[in-house]
Amino acid sequence: MPLLTVRLSSDATLAAALRELHLTEAEVDLDYGLVAVDPDQHLYALRVSDAAATRAAAVSDAAEIFADPRIGPAHDADPDPRSPRHPPDNSAPA
Amino acid sequence: MRALIQLRPSADLIAAVADPAVSVAPADVAGDLPGFDLDHDFAPLSVPDTVAADRAGARSVVVRGQIPDDDLDATVARLTGTRGVAGVFADPRIETNLTCGGDPAVGTWHDVQTLLHTGDLAAGGMDGKSVAVAIVDTGVNAARVEQARGGPVTVDAARSWNPPGVSGTAGQFPVDHGSMCAFDTLIGAPNATLLDIPVLQSKTRGGSTMDGLLSDALAAYAHLRTVLTDQPEATRTLVISNSWGAFSPDWDFPVGQPGNYSDNPSHPFNVIVGSLEAAGADILFAAGNCGRDCPDSRCAYQDRPIGGANSHPSVLSIGGVDSKGQRVGYSSQGPGRLSDRKPDICSYTHFLGSTVFGAKEPDTGTSAACPVAAGLVAAIRTVYPASKLAPAQLRDLLRRTATAQPGGFDYDYGFGVVNAAALLAELKNTEIRA
Repeated sequence: MPLLTVRLSSDATLAAALRELHLTEAEVDLDYGLVAVDPDQHLYALRVSDAAATRAAAVSDAAEIFADPRIGPAHDADPDPRSPRHPPDNSAPA
Repeated sequence: MRALIQLRPSADLIAAVADPAVSVAPADVAGDLPGFDLDHDFAPLSVPDTVAADRAGARSVVVRGQIPDDDLDATVARLTGTRGVAGVFADPRIETNLTCGGDPAVGTWHDVQTLLHTGDLAAGGMDGKSVAVAIVDTGVNAARVEQARGGPVTVDAARSWNPPGVSGTAGQFPVDHGSMCAFDTLIGAPNATLLDIPVLQSKTRGGSTMDGLLSDALAAYAHLRTVLTDQPEATRTLVISNSWGAFSPDWDFPVGQPGNYSDNPSHPFNVIVGSLEAAGADILFAAGNCGRDCPDSRCAYQDRPIGGANSHPSVLSIGGVDSKGQRVGYSSQGPGRLSDRKPDICSYTHFLGSTVFGAKEPDTGTSAACPVAAGLVAAIRTVYPASKLAPAQLRDLLRRTATAQPGGFDYDYGFGVVNAAALLAELKNTEIRA
């Protein structure tokens, strides 16, 4: 389920975004709603199905599709103390 | 390769080398050895002559130099047969043993307090009072953090926020990574107000325990913008600590594709990070645990593991050092993907602190280093709001005052290890108190 951004000139509501993108409520994550990315630039984001994102980007110049990657903590929950330690790579930039 | 050559010159010359009052040049001892590039900066050393151990008190002299790799065997044979040469030995590079995941704690959080000069910070009124620090993580368990630090913890439930589908209460989430981050923040800023932002609790569409989706962080940042802009502009402060990242290109669109996250400043999350910083927020990201020496098993990038917002030019990317100031082997190295000079600085990790993972388990990862640095930033913000010291200025101060490696910036330590004493001295000079 990718992120879809849309530029909305004035009426920054989910309903206005659906109208602009020719989408139905069933195609978007209603719990997520419409998120203001940068209100000064009238930029908003929605979570939509893959098919809806592709179709919306095709019908609206104001829409763009972006990755929504998984994120995780910067902490190895189960480090293996026996795992090999790599020797320093002296070819790496200093 | 580098080599040591053991020589047996005249007794007078050996005595001269052994005499600290006498200066003997390497060439005076070694002369012209065939195929050996003598190191003229390495003073000859007098050592016991083990080859002639039967001669009690016999000594010899060692010099250092270089032997060409492409003719090593022949050169060593030639040198060994040279008159006066007692032996030719390798001079291998030696390295300190870097701290890695699974290693025991290096010091305690009280050592980190000392390193952060929390006494001096407190004396200057810099304890985090009234400064909001958003812990964007797995959720905070305030009772556990209070127990670990032996002092009160303030969580502002009204300004905290849950992703869609997450129903827990701010400050009452299960003890986990977020509680470690909260504890580590409060080392430098014991009176800061925590905002609990448990984006890694999200279970949205395939999310599992201890991970979430970047869209959840995007929504969280939209909320945090309101937290920031609801404050009076003159006293506005918000510190955002992010001990998380996206570790696999498999979770992202390919680099170069317009919707990519890792390398794309136009991705909406990277846009909102820039927008929030411009509005006055101090944003800190863990550099990640993909250091070449002992990377986290989840690291899937072949190179340049500091990507996406963790490498954003408007954030502080935090690498990790232990309490002795040595980089931990898992701390990700630059260059960054959105901006080259990452990490920015290093902060402390791998110390016995929150004990949320066990009584003897250290707070580890750049996950711990990031909130330690966030705590220092929050302490500074007690006295210096963003209207007096913009986030970009504070980042510049932290970089300029960090204890740098010889030669300055490098991709291991960034601009160096955070130096609270130097930072405080510099702030006094700037005369920008509110």
